[in-house]
Amino acid sequence: MERTTIKVAGESGMGLLSSGHIISRALKHLGFYMTVDREYPSLIKGGSSNVQIEFGIKQVRSLSTKVDIVVALDRHGLLEHISSIKRNGILIHGYERHNFIPELKKLAKKHGVRVFYLPARQIAKSLGGTSVMVNMVLLGFLWRVLGLDAKNLKQEVSRQFKSKPALLNIDLKCIDAGYKASDLNKISQLKLKKNKKVSKTILLDGTDSISLGAIHAGLRNYYMYPMSPASGILTYIAKTSHETGIMVKQAEDEITAVQMTIGSMHAGSRSMLATSGGGYDLMTESISLAGMTETPLVIIIGQRPGPATGLATWTCQSDLNLAIHSSHGDFPRAVIACSDQKSSFELIQHAFNIAETYQIPVIVLTEKEILEKYSTVEPFKQNTIPIKRGIVTKKSDLEKLTPKDRFAITKSGISKRWIPGTSKAYFYANGDEHNIDGKITEDAKSVSDMMEKRMRKETTLKNNLPDPIIHGVKKNADISFVGWGSSKTVMLDVIDELKEKSVKINYLHYDYVWPIKEKPAIKFFQNNKNIYLIENNFTGQFGKHIEAITGKKFKSKMLKYNGRSFHFDEVIAYIKKRIKSKR
Amino acid sequence: MTQQNDTKTVLKNLSEKKDTYIKYETDEVITWCHGCGNYNIQNALKRALTLEDFETQNILYCFDIGCNGNGSDKIGGYTFHGLHGRVISVASGASIANPHIKVIASGGDGGTMSEGINHLIHAVRNDYPVLFILHNNHNYGLTTGQASATTPKGFAMNGSPDGVLPDPMNPSEFVLNLNPSFVARSFSGDIKHMTKVLRRALNHKGFAFVEMLQVCPTYNKATPQSWYWDRIKYTSDLKNYKANDIEKAKKLTKDLEKNIYLGVLYEDPKKENFIEKLQNRKNLKTAPVDEVKHYSISKFFKEFE
Repeated sequence: MERTTIKVAGESGMGLLSSGHIISRALKHLGFYMTVDREYPSLIKGGSSNVQIEFGIKQVRSLSTKVDIVVALDRHGLLEHISSIKRNGILIHGYERHNFIPELKKLAKKHGVRVFYLPARQIAKSLGGTSVMVNMVLLGFLWRVLGLDAKNLKQEVSRQFKSKPALLNIDLKCIDAGYKASDLNKISQLKLKKNKKVSKTILLDGTDSISLGAIHAGLRNYYMYPMSPASGILTYIAKTSHETGIMVKQAEDEITAVQMTIGSMHAGSRSMLATSGGGYDLMTESISLAGMTETPLVIIIGQRPGPATGLATWTCQSDLNLAIHSSHGDFPRAVIACSDQKSSFELIQHAFNIAETYQIPVIVLTEKEILEKYSTVEPFKQNTIPIKRGIVTKKSDLEKLTPKDRFAITKSGISKRWIPGTSKAYFYANGDEHNIDGKITEDAKSVSDMMEKRMRKETTLKNNLPDPIIHGVKKNADISFVGWGSSKTVMLDVIDELKEKSVKINYLHYDYVWPIKEKPAIKFFQNNKNIYLIENNFTGQFGKHIEAITGKKFKSKMLKYNGRSFHFDEVIAYIKKRIKSKR
Repeated sequence: MTQQNDTKTVLKNLSEKKDTYIKYETDEVITWCHGCGNYNIQNALKRALTLEDFETQNILYCFDIGCNGNGSDKIGGYTFHGLHGRVISVASGASIANPHIKVIASGGDGGTMSEGINHLIHAVRNDYPVLFILHNNHNYGLTTGQASATTPKGFAMNGSPDGVLPDPMNPSEFVLNLNPSFVARSFSGDIKHMTKVLRRALNHKGFAFVEMLQVCPTYNKATPQSWYWDRIKYTSDLKNYKANDIEKAKKLTKDLEKNIYLGVLYEDPKKENFIEKLQNRKNLKTAPVDEVKHYSISKFFKEFE
């Protein structure tokens, strides 16, 4: 499959985000599929950042390390990314003093990169613009290199800056100037393959997707204490709250946020909160309380590398064991991992249903990569996941309730739950160990019975969870992978690519990472002989669980722990090396 | 004389509503020490709820950890017994999600003034619709008598054999400095006064802070019942004390040594509470608890096209 990759690099605050939006939307309207992600340091202005847009005529879900075109908005962007450009690739820049950087020519020669300079700052200024409009001039030029019509680009510029009409005119002039700036003969334009039909897609990230899923599922109380990379969920739910009526509260700390969520859920609303690993650490005592009182709870962890503050604006999958093992005492829980936009939209809806049906905490894992990476996807289907609240609502049933129903010992472990105020039979939600009516007990048998009842919910849940999915060939693969989270996006792209080269490859993906369904993993190990782990953390956390339940070892583990996601070309290279050595 | 008449009226009203009152009683064995202030505080609450015509079905009590929390199954109504120091937050979350029920939270001086003091500060700021009762017995009773943030300076406690070194906090004065909408103080030895204060607090629409000065006969030898009776004064005995002047209230509340004033110290019944302030819910007649259903998100897709 052919992919084209553009990287726009510069300092934070130079219009990188808007450049990314303009390019990607313009490409989307031409019928391209794409994935876009950005890399930036944990600060507001300055520092080296970039936006990468990878597109093609088929679905693109992941990014590559090597790019076709770099658009450098400043000196930093000029040198840092030149080595990531493919041989015969293009570097576009507007840095006037480039002649004073001798290593630029040297590096360009070494990597076989064609460098195009445009006096973008002078052009922008001559048209009455500011130095930030350098990006508009260079985008105009980029469009010419891509061999695309400027009309389409200008439409998206108008859309992006419609709130600043005075400057828009200058922006559009800058685009035109950039487009016409250079002698066409000097530039060999790219010949992009195009789709004949433009199919209906939406372009959005995991933050928007998970927020939309929660809104659709009837979220009514949202709480949060800001923490990257999950803060965008607060932004989205708050900015749409006049349409949705959702009660949004930024709490004074993480403990308050989780306690208020528990309070709202206990009182019968649908409520949730989002945080990152460090914020979740602070909440763990409360999660244990939700487990004990059998209060439904939905918490999103947007993972970023730790320990401690770690890398605040980078990605990882290293909070799996935190989600599974956090909090004191034994209690049942579910841990669900999003992998892309669609799964974020759907799994958050399932998370509410599971939390309410089983009356347990549900931790929804996502990653910086998933939250901020945006892609073209099919518009989400609504009303396909029914709302399951697991509460007694019928008047005649409510009248029959007694307090002893609330924590009654049942085979499934699930007892009746009802909203305070709806029945005369008031109940007692108790953080102390309790009897079936919630009242405190320290009696040995009652304590054992209640612990066993609660833990049976995990067995019931496990039996009802969907199996993990095998992507690629069903069995006897040349090479196999097991993973969770964002690994799916890169693996799907890799499978698509290698299928064309008749490599038999498959990938076992878990959405529901806790409780783990053992049988599909055991079967996968029986049916495949060359199995690797792909996981974005140092210790291979999920891999260890899989090895424990299957009693088998992975051939090797593809691990990454530098804050970067798995790249398409790096996984392809990893596989080629393994298959060759095998043959 | 008026006090006597008051008492008679209250008792008459209570006996007329005995069917409601009985519902607040439970069969659980009480585990508080002999002479503990909690007996009276809980009885005052039962009386106030009865007199203000609340039904057990429509009440959610939220209890912190501490001796008072051990009374959580001794009063009729829905109950949530949570973590140490966190009761205000869990109660606030419940009250704004489901305003159809009255949320009453209670915690001690340990959980409220130390472990969870940030929750108190921000609950006052946000004016969540919660009645909060602070059981201030000047020590950590359930963990056997350690010093709290309100223990008087110099008194030797479990873990502080040389006496408490820092100055004590004054909870009512502290809250009065946070621009609250309701602050009252009462005493566990005076059930009539507590009932009166709680009745007013129950009808407050925002965050009602009620400090109960509470005796602890087992661990608090510093401030026993007699110590309080020597110092207690009532705002009702002051000429023209109106609870609408926060500066006056602050002044009056300051003294914890000679004259300890009880009563509704400050009240702003018109102040918009948390829910009333929300711009995006101004025209909604329902509460979050009534609104859980599928919401169409089609209108949001436009941004992503």
